[in-house]
Amino acid sequence: MIDLADVSYAYPDTDHYVLSHVNLKVEPGTVTGIVGASGSGKTTLAKIISGFIPHVDGGELSGSVVVDGATIADVTLSEAVSHVGLVIQSPFNQISGAKFTVREELAFGLENLGVAREEMAERVTAVAELLGITGLLERSPYALSGGQQQLVAIASMIIMNTPVLVMDEPTSQLDPGGTRMVFDVMSSLRDAGITLVVFEHKLELLREHADIVHVLAESQLIASGPSRAMLADPRLEKWGIGSTRFTAAAAAARDRKLLSKDAELPVSLTDAVPEFRAFAAKKGA
Amino acid sequence: MSTTLFDNRKSVIHRLNPVTKLIALLAIIVIVFAIPLWWVAGIIIVVIVVPAAVISGSGGRLLKLSLRILLPILLVLFIVQGLTFPGGTTVIWQWGIIDITSEGLLFALGVGSRIVVLVLASMLLVLTTHPGDLMSALSERGMSPKFAYIISSTLQLIPAFRVRADSILLAQQARGLSLKGSPFRRIKIMLPLLSPLVLGMFTDVEERSTAMEARAFGSTAKRTALIPVPDSTVQNVSRWVLIVLALAAVATPIVLGLL
Amino acid sequence: MDVSFDGVRYTYPGGVEAVKGVTLAIPSGQRFAIVGQNGAGKTTLVRHLNGIFQPTEGTVHVGDWTTTGHTIAELSAKVGYVFQNPDEQLFARRVIDDVAFGPRNLGFDLDRAEALVAAALEQTGLSAEAETHPHHLSLSERKRVALAAVLAMDTPIVVLDEPTTGQDERGVRMIATIVEKLQSEGRTVIAITHDMDFCAENFERTVVMAQGEVLADGAPSEVFIQDAVLEKARVEAPQLARLADALGWASRPLTVDSFVDSLPAHRR
Repeated sequence: MIDLADVSYAYPDTDHYVLSHVNLKVEPGTVTGIVGASGSGKTTLAKIISGFIPHVDGGELSGSVVVDGATIADVTLSEAVSHVGLVIQSPFNQISGAKFTVREELAFGLENLGVAREEMAERVTAVAELLGITGLLERSPYALSGGQQQLVAIASMIIMNTPVLVMDEPTSQLDPGGTRMVFDVMSSLRDAGITLVVFEHKLELLREHADIVHVLAESQLIASGPSRAMLADPRLEKWGIGSTRFTAAAAAARDRKLLSKDAELPVSLTDAVPEFRAFAAKKGA
Repeated sequence: MSTTLFDNRKSVIHRLNPVTKLIALLAIIVIVFAIPLWWVAGIIIVVIVVPAAVISGSGGRLLKLSLRILLPILLVLFIVQGLTFPGGTTVIWQWGIIDITSEGLLFALGVGSRIVVLVLASMLLVLTTHPGDLMSALSERGMSPKFAYIISSTLQLIPAFRVRADSILLAQQARGLSLKGSPFRRIKIMLPLLSPLVLGMFTDVEERSTAMEARAFGSTAKRTALIPVPDSTVQNVSRWVLIVLALAAVATPIVLGLL
Repeated sequence: MDVSFDGVRYTYPGGVEAVKGVTLAIPSGQRFAIVGQNGAGKTTLVRHLNGIFQPTEGTVHVGDWTTTGHTIAELSAKVGYVFQNPDEQLFARRVIDDVAFGPRNLGFDLDRAEALVAAALEQTGLSAEAETHPHHLSLSERKRVALAAVLAMDTPIVVLDEPTTGQDERGVRMIATIVEKLQSEGRTVIAITHDMDFCAENFERTVVMAQGEVLADGAPSEVFIQDAVLEKARVEAPQLARLADALGWASRPLTVDSFVDSLPAHRR
């Protein structure tokens, strides 16, 4: 669904390559998590997958980017955005400013596409319900808190119904409840056949919702794997990504010979419970 | 936080097609400025503007907002014109070197009554028409979506940036900045604080336009609108009648040789 | 420096009551965290400390001052406040100018100001970015600039509104180190956070807020065991507390070390 081959990129007027020789393959109908320390190029990669590099930002882009069958560099931006949507990091800047209520703000993209009124109304209702913002529909998008704006921004892209959706730190302004809800929404979109790529710091939730996780470090996608194996990888420490407390506790327990060396390290609560329960069931030494 | 003056009610005036209201406003302005008779403006206020304001239910707010704009203008107008009107010979009140002439007052009445119509009618449009609805209605009539976007986003973003400017000022006070002193000193302090905000606005605009493209703003499809704009044959006919009346008003003084 | 809230209520001009009678005393040198859902009234409450809000009812004391008697600028000598959104705080063209703004306003002599600015940049890992335009930094870096700008004011009280959002592992550790250092210097740290692990590991006292009220107050180990409160406030316990709960333990260890230490005791 997404195929990046040997992609390198330097921003205009710099000769520093933010990304160099990046390769990424994403299967359709999956959630891919990408983790990386600050400054590792996450936002740049998000813009490349969604076509804003090279169509909006200039700079030096090489390699090939194919998304949903479209070679991004060869199609217009209008066509690119029909294949792939991008939720940008700042919800304040995602809000169009063209609309005076959240209801119309959500419909903005559909109006541009000329979608029939009845269908628009249905899709607005559905996406608002999905993200729990029905109560905000008549409010001004600018009269909302940062967290509420973030939910509106996410909803305004989900409603576009693109086959691929890229999200750049979509939960930065949400509380834990809101964050969980957004991750649950990602899973249900995946179940509906959408392909998602999410750039996030929240490792426990990535473990629960991402199928594959890639690590961005040293200007490259340096490692990848199934979410549990990748997010428990001790090298994440070196790459500035860290680990969950579940992983850290299990690793410390292993070091103190309280857990067996062969046990796979847990990343989330669901992973951790059976590992430690098995330990508790064993006879004391 | 409210970003517009719109007074959300369900009156007939509120529910009129925004374009009808806009044409009515323009027609009224053309009529009062084309016909140089103060009582024409008077009749329009009494027969059209005041009843419309009462029906809309926004009359109270209209009065409050308009008075705030009109009082200083009218006061200055009557004092200055009453005193200094060059053709003034009929002195009706004298005190020291001050002469108030009836010609001057009549001139002030002529100009003042038009300003009153202009302000009342415009404010009534603003109070009873949501800017978003006005934009949708104009877009439906072929106004370019980019132009509609510029108008709406300006209306929206100015208050949004004002909020941000307020918070930046607040944050600097929280870092020990004192805003005490003369207004001049305050402006001198505030300018360097707010100039980056303005620069930041441009960077934001760039990112915002990126985000807009992601929502198919560049699409060439025929656009649709979520909220239908109400309209009727009666309104359509009225709009044409208003246009004809406005044209007639422009012609009247010429025909009657009033100019 | 001590601070206290006495029966504080705050109603927004629009009529929404965001804080509904909060009484809290925070002694000098405490690391104090407030958790709760968005909209629980956390930010509204702490913005009383530097006079951005004045209580509709009740009083707020900062040291021996009552906040009603003082301007925001006066209170800034005692209370440093790091805003959640750095873009609502930063304005200068160079990082160093922004960080130096507070000390300059407070009238510190040049040597002291320079030393404070250098130390603040160092602690936040920004020494190399001193000459950079904040606009060219990432959001997580701008957040650290905002933090450095307040650290450089050397206030006895430091308020942090969501300091760890958008920070990577290194950034969170840096902030944890700063919190610890502030306390070692006898300064009071008051933080609002959604990161319960950060809260459990770095703060000695936690208050849970919901709908403008304080629902629980105590050491994290006492607070994160009150399941009914956490549920009502829609707050999630820290990761290891949730694990201990799922394993059916009576205790709720909050750090990796204490969790591993309690493991042998839970072997059947």
